[in-house]
Amino acid sequence: MDYSYFRMKRVAAVIGVMLLNPAVTFAEEDTDALRRQLTEIRQQMQHMQQSYTQQINALEQRLVGLESKSDNSATTVNSTAISSPSTTTTSNSGFKIGLSGLFAGGGSSVDNDALEGLQGGAHDPNQNGFTVQNVELSMGGTVGPYFDAQANIIFQIDADGETVVELEEAFFTTRSLPWGLQVKGGQYFTEFGRQNPQHPHTWAFMDQPVVLSRFFGGDGLRSQGVRASWLMPTDWYSELYFGVQNPKGETVTSFLNAPGEDIGGHTLIDRDTRNFGDLLYTARWLNGFDLSDTLSMNLGVSGLWGPNASGTATDTNIVGADLYLKWQPVYSQRGFPFISWHTEILQRRYEAGDPGDPSRKTLKDRGLFTQALWGFKPGWVAGLRAEYASADGNTSTDPLRDTRKRLSPNLTWYPSEYSKVRLQYNRDWTEHLPSKTADSLWLQFEFNLGSHAAHVF
Amino acid sequence: MKKLFRISIGLLLLMTSLTNHAVLRVVTTTQDLTSIAEAVGGEQVQVQSLTPGTRDPHFATAKPSMIRKVFRADLLLVIGTDMEIGWLPPLLQSARNTQVQPGNPGYLDLSNGVPLLGKISGPVSRAMGDVHAKGNPHYWLDPRNGVHMAQAIATRLSKLDPSHKDDYQRRFRAFAQTMDNKLPAWHAELAQLKGKPVIAYHKSFIYLADAFGFRIVDEVEPKPGIAPSAATLSALVARIKAKHIHLLIMEPYYERRSASYLNEQTGIRVAVLPQSVGAQPDINSYFDLFDAIVASLNNTIGK
Repeated sequence: MDYSYFRMKRVAAVIGVMLLNPAVTFAEEDTDALRRQLTEIRQQMQHMQQSYTQQINALEQRLVGLESKSDNSATTVNSTAISSPSTTTTSNSGFKIGLSGLFAGGGSSVDNDALEGLQGGAHDPNQNGFTVQNVELSMGGTVGPYFDAQANIIFQIDADGETVVELEEAFFTTRSLPWGLQVKGGQYFTEFGRQNPQHPHTWAFMDQPVVLSRFFGGDGLRSQGVRASWLMPTDWYSELYFGVQNPKGETVTSFLNAPGEDIGGHTLIDRDTRNFGDLLYTARWLNGFDLSDTLSMNLGVSGLWGPNASGTATDTNIVGADLYLKWQPVYSQRGFPFISWHTEILQRRYEAGDPGDPSRKTLKDRGLFTQALWGFKPGWVAGLRAEYASADGNTSTDPLRDTRKRLSPNLTWYPSEYSKVRLQYNRDWTEHLPSKTADSLWLQFEFNLGSHAAHVF
Repeated sequence: MKKLFRISIGLLLLMTSLTNHAVLRVVTTTQDLTSIAEAVGGEQVQVQSLTPGTRDPHFATAKPSMIRKVFRADLLLVIGTDMEIGWLPPLLQSARNTQVQPGNPGYLDLSNGVPLLGKISGPVSRAMGDVHAKGNPHYWLDPRNGVHMAQAIATRLSKLDPSHKDDYQRRFRAFAQTMDNKLPAWHAELAQLKGKPVIAYHKSFIYLADAFGFRIVDEVEPKPGIAPSAATLSALVARIKAKHIHLLIMEPYYERRSASYLNEQTGIRVAVLPQSVGAQPDINSYFDLFDAIVASLNNTIGK
């Protein structure tokens, strides 16, 4: 034991008291008296600390007892045989709360009306000037031994300056089902492809891919329902997802979108779910491979089947494939450098109009986006995205179905993991705009407060 | 209803025990833990690390293959003190393996069994950079802590697999004995470093300094995780000259330009130290790690 430390502390304390009380003289007796008093105070403090520690330990013991009683299947709580100098146990069961804000500013060669058609995502920068893209409050944690839960609430300011509040997601997931099964239920982003379930602040580009805006609407595909997933006992990572969700609303636009909206010349009617056949069925198969120590690959296919509101017996089917490759060298600092490549291709078959309707036809749309990121030094990422979307038939005047191409280079700087600044240029080629092309430049800023567990594998 | 539930749980447990494999599957977050677990577990365990020793374990790349490993694990060994906070919690959620969730016997946080340095009392702000309030997580760089870690692993393995308890205890004693034999030699080789001021790139060598008696008086990073600017570097040059610091230590995965600059300006010697098992191809065990660190320090100061 090194006692000099305590002596120094005592001297420091005495000096501190003298400084605080200018009336104190340097008389020897006074210092002695002070020393005695300080020793007493210290002893009292130590005594208090000891008794508190004992009380806390006793409470902890009782809690542990209660927990093991309330949970028969849970096994006994761990206790390391060695005396542990630190009594804190790591736990991710705490309630976590986080706030992220995403803002953009910039301008385009076209006016705000034209921009609305070009920037189809609800979180895209979509006006000359400033856009509050997304302010997201996320909360989550472990409910108990059996469930985790999470909720994400979005605040936005629309182009008219009105504040919009949305319940983006609120769902539970199971923790302890056997055989690699997991069930998720509530309101959640459909696991279709890699991009759709991601939240705007984790996107690699500041706007939603064109084909996703077209097929899933500005907010991405999300709805109320339940899905089960199965981590299969294969030698590589392989997971199957099956789900069923409500097909109705503005966040499932290719299905029972709001009545009065229009698709390919068909005005949507008010159609309700009457039986199991009128629900939205979702499926996904995701595989992951480590090709080498430095290269990994994810390969997925997804499908959606559900009713649409262009008639009383009409259906929509969307299928997609996604590929993600990531390279990181053996030596890397803070996750840099890296190169990633993400590509998705989607196709939609939309039955428009009931049988017998003279204007009945099947609308066929397709689209793809491919994006590469290069993290060239810690905190710096350069990106390039190319997109294409088109549809069968004469669709040149329809901003949601014409032939669209977009090329977007960008540069992102992360001052820390909790903030970013991004500059992005969009070159658009369209059929529906008189100018046929558009050039836009945007600057984005993001902050993250608290914790947000939204990592994508 | 409750009875039915219990019976079904019982059946489930029976099925899992019937399909139980002879070898315990141990998954670790770093290769240092892998090496110690292999030393203690021997042929009774099969150990896999989630991250390679060449990469900064704070910033692991989350890959689906990790989900697969954690899903099949009987025991998960973690460094703790929030080192894996950026990637382990979502991984644990995706892996859907109840046994290795925190609080269950299949989850062992090794930081609970070692004396942690650098704990922060008082307010912690992100303005301070990457600060670990629960303590500095680089504790495996003190070889004495390796013994604590081996003991904790032996105790836990004995609990999960009581039939091989004697094997685990025997191997732990052998591990501790090897350490007892090696420590005096390492100390002797680094004798000239005792009490000397040293500068580190990142706040990751405080345990190593504590173990071998040198003093880390400054870091190249102005705040943990924040890269040095030109201004910080020129201020460092002045401090290195004023305090007569002759050694800079850093991990292999940090940028070397700052160190080269400081070397040119002040003549300070730079030792690039492996921070983990696997950081260099020839470091295959926890003992190799300290052999390599001691050799590298010796080469640098002896030049």
